[in-house]
Amino acid sequence: MKIKLASVDSVIIYFSDTISKKTSLEVKSAYKLLKSLDDKNLIEIVPSYTSILITYDIFTYNYKEIQIFLQKLLENLKVEDENALEVINVDVYYGDEVGLDLQRVALKANISVDEVIKIHSSKIYDVFAIGFLPGFAYMASVDEKIVTSRLESPRKKIPKGSVAIADNQTAIYPQNSPGGWNILGKTTFELFDKTLESLSPITIESRIKFNQISKEEFLKQGGVLEF
Amino acid sequence: MSFNVIKAGIFTTLQDRGRFSFTHLGVTNSGVMDEYATLAAHKLLDNNLNDNILEITFSNVELQANETTTICITGAKCEFYINDEQKTTWKTYKIKKDDIVKIGKIIEGQRVYLAVKNGFEVPKEFGSNSTTIKESLGGISGIQIKNNDMLPYKKNDVKIINRWHQEHLPTYTKELTLRVLLSYQEDSFSSYEKEKFFSSSYTVTPDFNRMACKLKGEPIISSLDGIISEAITFGSIQIPKDGQPIILLKERQTIGGYPKIGSVLSIDCFKLSQMKIGSTIRFEEIDITTAQKKLKDFYSTFN
Repeated sequence: MKIKLASVDSVIIYFSDTISKKTSLEVKSAYKLLKSLDDKNLIEIVPSYTSILITYDIFTYNYKEIQIFLQKLLENLKVEDENALEVINVDVYYGDEVGLDLQRVALKANISVDEVIKIHSSKIYDVFAIGFLPGFAYMASVDEKIVTSRLESPRKKIPKGSVAIADNQTAIYPQNSPGGWNILGKTTFELFDKTLESLSPITIESRIKFNQISKEEFLKQGGVLEF
Repeated sequence: MSFNVIKAGIFTTLQDRGRFSFTHLGVTNSGVMDEYATLAAHKLLDNNLNDNILEITFSNVELQANETTTICITGAKCEFYINDEQKTTWKTYKIKKDDIVKIGKIIEGQRVYLAVKNGFEVPKEFGSNSTTIKESLGGISGIQIKNNDMLPYKKNDVKIINRWHQEHLPTYTKELTLRVLLSYQEDSFSSYEKEKFFSSSYTVTPDFNRMACKLKGEPIISSLDGIISEAITFGSIQIPKDGQPIILLKERQTIGGYPKIGSVLSIDCFKLSQMKIGSTIRFEEIDITTAQKKLKDFYSTFN
């Protein structure tokens, strides 16, 4: 673990130089511990794949003091078991009308579309980072059989709720957005919900399982097929 | 009781000091680009420093009051009228029913701030009034101010007569030196590259908005192509592959994968926010102890 200067009122803690499940669990455990302090002097705590950025009140801590404080706090960090993290189920309609890149992914992997769907929906994914758009969670790792790189030219509009993959990552688009990920399906699951006090049902500590649902079920849930 | 927006201007938004503690969900801080002008206006009105304010980026704003209050306009040098009578900025003015407040041409600087006594009475979203259009958060229904909007405030008869000290009035020139803390991936920049960075001058390009300010000049090369995405603070200086620095501002993306040479001292970003396209920017190094002292001094002025 390294604590480095980020800006006049922020430091960044690096847990490792490479992305791994182990590092991610360290990040999540440290994040949870930092949140549990409920310390108003820690203004922002922003986790990502291998790091946590902390913006602090410089009237309370100077740079030296925050380093010592964090070093001490995280010295004997107890890394949580991943099974302790909550699994959230997300219903997905994997159909040609909404999964624009299903065929492409299947062709590239040299398997059937049904197999692509089965592979994508059989794993529990970990959230490694949230960003790009509010509620956009970068989840991994997608089974290597269906790993597919981003589209060469991004689409101007990917509809809200699209479930997509890029390399070994998967994500749900929380709102309409340009993007270059391969779209496999669509969900009515809300990632950015202003009626929730927490704003999003997903945090870095969440684990996600996609469940295949029928077109009828998707429509019943309020799903929209149109682009 | 409110201001009726007769002309909203092209880009006028309601802001405050920003939306905090949702960054971990990808929600940006947002908030006023120039905290100096904002806090000065609030201080002159004896407001809470966290009160909201209008940030006006282009000229031609016209508001009609329908109740008594006091207002204060700070920030960029601009033509400012109350009922067609020219007034000066950085000074408080009492407003009565039917008065018309007009912001004409912006003469020096980029952003004008209009504060009202006790702020506008608009409900906050997730702790803030700051408008972030790409997130549909804050302001009035998540977008910029439009013609015919109502900006509510409480009637206020308290007599306030105040003006900002002449010697503290900012001047908006065409050249600015930004103080930089070397940080983040600074190790990936050789001493040659760092020297180049601190000895060159850069130009503010048209890619300058509430998110970021892209500069053009001597390219700076990092030994890293990209990095594992990590959180980005206010003022961070990203160096993408083309070597042209990008300074990240209030509406920046929360995480990103470009190497960063360091970060601009936040209070200097407030000055940057008033620079026009084509202005010249230089960088000079500052150490963290001095930087924190400067920041404390800055905020202590307003308390």
